[in-house]
Amino acid sequence: MNLYRKIALFLAVMGPGIITANIDNDASGITTYSVAGARFGYGLLWTLVPTTIALVVIQEMIARMGVITGKGLSDLIRENYGIKAAFFMMLGLLIANFGNTVANLAGWAASMEILGLSKYIMIPVGAISIWMLVTKGSYRFVEKILLFACLLYFGYVISGLMAKPEWGPVLKSTFVPQLRWDSEYVMLSIAIIGTTITPWMQFYLQSSIAEKGITKEQYKASRLDVIIGCSITDIISFFIIVTCGTLLFPHGIRINEASEAALALKPLAGDYAYLIFSLCLANASLLGAIIVPLATAYYICEAMGWEAGVNKTFKDAPQFMWIYTLTIALASIVVMIPGAPLVFLMVLSAVINGLLLPFVLVYALLLVNNKKLMGEYTNPKSYNYISWSTIVVIICLTVFFVVTIIMPEGGKI
Amino acid sequence: MPFFGELFVSEILKKPVLDPKGEELGRVKDLLVVRGEALPKISSLIVEKKRKLFSLPWADLNIFNKRIISANIYSESLKSYEMSEEDLLLVRDIFDKQIVDANGAKVVRVNDVKLEGFNTEAVLIAADVGMRGIMRRLGVERGGEDLMRVLRGNLPYNLISWDYIQPLEPKLTAISLTIPRQMMSELHPADLAAIISQVSHKEGATFIKDLDVETAAEMLSELEPDTQAAIITGMDTEKAADIIEEMPPDEAADVLSDIPAEKAHEILGNLEKEDAEDIQELLGHEEDTAGGIMTNEYIAYSPEMTVKEASDRFKVNARDVETVYYIYVLDKDEKLIGITSLRELLLAEPDCLIADIMETNFKTVSPGEDEMVAAGIISKYNLLALPVVDENGYMHGIVTVDDIIDILLPPSAKRKRRKV
Repeated sequence: MNLYRKIALFLAVMGPGIITANIDNDASGITTYSVAGARFGYGLLWTLVPTTIALVVIQEMIARMGVITGKGLSDLIRENYGIKAAFFMMLGLLIANFGNTVANLAGWAASMEILGLSKYIMIPVGAISIWMLVTKGSYRFVEKILLFACLLYFGYVISGLMAKPEWGPVLKSTFVPQLRWDSEYVMLSIAIIGTTITPWMQFYLQSSIAEKGITKEQYKASRLDVIIGCSITDIISFFIIVTCGTLLFPHGIRINEASEAALALKPLAGDYAYLIFSLCLANASLLGAIIVPLATAYYICEAMGWEAGVNKTFKDAPQFMWIYTLTIALASIVVMIPGAPLVFLMVLSAVINGLLLPFVLVYALLLVNNKKLMGEYTNPKSYNYISWSTIVVIICLTVFFVVTIIMPEGGKI
Repeated sequence: MPFFGELFVSEILKKPVLDPKGEELGRVKDLLVVRGEALPKISSLIVEKKRKLFSLPWADLNIFNKRIISANIYSESLKSYEMSEEDLLLVRDIFDKQIVDANGAKVVRVNDVKLEGFNTEAVLIAADVGMRGIMRRLGVERGGEDLMRVLRGNLPYNLISWDYIQPLEPKLTAISLTIPRQMMSELHPADLAAIISQVSHKEGATFIKDLDVETAAEMLSELEPDTQAAIITGMDTEKAADIIEEMPPDEAADVLSDIPAEKAHEILGNLEKEDAEDIQELLGHEEDTAGGIMTNEYIAYSPEMTVKEASDRFKVNARDVETVYYIYVLDKDEKLIGITSLRELLLAEPDCLIADIMETNFKTVSPGEDEMVAAGIISKYNLLALPVVDENGYMHGIVTVDDIIDILLPPSAKRKRRKV
């Protein structure tokens, strides 16, 4: 009991950064890393290093804002840039996150199918249990489940180690960048950044830090939490790429989905790798499907000033409950309808995410440099150079990404 | 001295202001608000022309409605204006901010503000916190009405009268009325806690400042530990000490154990000696043990006392003690030898001795025992409180049933609002 409690207390301080970063590796993230590993082997590993740095730079600012102002990002945007900015941002977030939820439920469906369970049973089961868990479950119970789910990600580390890669080439590819002017290569490296740095996680991180009531005095611990979280995310990504790069790439196996990776691993690496990959995908998808709709409902209600809370009824918090419930319900239906435009929805969601990200980041940078809000905690000058250039690079890449998604032909270099 | 009926502020923003000849003086950018007689009023319009700001006093306006705004003066006599943090500007400082609706006891966001003509002034009559306000700001109020008509519903107005608004910003608090503050103090502490847990700690601190110490202490007890700690840490030591003093010692100890040691020390230094000692004693116990959740405020009398003496004493002691249903009987060495209840005390003959009515067969728990064991005993024997007694028989405090319920079933404000 006592030891358990100490661990729990440790996790209480170290929570938001690590959990946010873990959920960032949702179904679409895992898909991107698996595809990258199978298609280019270790060739794209190096992109993880600059991505991690960019992620840390951004998340640190967001975390600092949460600590100092005690408010979420959507509150701050609404209060400082007015209702129009907040409204369109939230509308974009709603659509993009609907797409994310579809992607996650599709990931859940795919992982269940390859385990031999029909998606027509597992989708309703998954969706209803998520809904019940969040609206009827006690907070402590939900938190325990989330923390346990975060631990399951380490399955990917195990599978990476079991693949027995040659560490020499792996490390070399990680730290020595290789540039290739191949459109698929460029697209995938941008996609890695795009699935790692998303708009919704900035909102989520800042709110959960504000919510925790982390004070200025504890800010250093919080920064460490963010850095550890970002590193863990990318270590998981690293092992996914390593697994697929070691086992699938040499055989020339090309995949388009994370579930295909699990299937392809079966004959090559045996049942364990197959089980780990499908269970981890199921876990990540479900975790994403729990958090993303919930987070969306929270930010929207906060920005608009509507009552929010999971233990409220449809009568007390109608907007909140309807946004949350409809996101899950509609996303489940979309995944189950045969021939529904799943790919279109996911592409749409990626495009909207890409379009939102520059706004979110620019607003965040302007807010973090606002003396009235941040006092002495604004960015130091040198840090501003780093963050502005990081953001400019990300914005250029995402714009490029969006353009190539919308016009695949024009995107060829 | 312009006369007008009523309008929403968003309807006049960016509208041109004309001089007597019909030339444009500038466009409405903001409104300066000052304290009025009953309600806050508009003292001047801030207009913008060619990126420069000018202030146009209310008295110089001629017509003021949502179609036409015109002034008595020409552009030469306009005074230039510079944004100042001291001024209260309606759009900058009130729009989009959170306020507390004292009537409904919840936190809402201001979408729009309704002005009304009162004598010769324009006063802030209500805040629009509904869907209609959002649509009006986005410029689609008409469209929303049409849509709802198609859906056979209507778009309700959701206005909160300014009488019931309790602002969260210090600057706004200065112009607010006393009615909401009184209403706030009458709310149940658990409702107040729910409001506090929805706003940032800075705003929470402003909010608490307006409450009287007793209400603030009761409300603080209802919050989850992290929020308690953050609020107390952010307060100045004296006010924090006043609030801590009002809290039952066990809860005070819980709060102090969660805040930085230095601050806790300062606060303890500011308490009355007796209170500080009580709290310090409790701070020595592990958090999840019976000692950690007990309180050392209880009623204890000597066995030689008569029932009459005890009842008289009880009337004095019971004022400051939270749990009064059991009376503990201690011998000269402060060892617990018996327990009697308030019922027994009331029913007994006045000249009976306490020793005669006390129960000597009672349950106790030792200070180091796990809190769940204490919970088990309380549940099994249907107790309201359980004495904490060490191996030598000395009484340290009592574990009360409400603390046990908080462990088993945290009240909603103590649960986190959002999933981590």
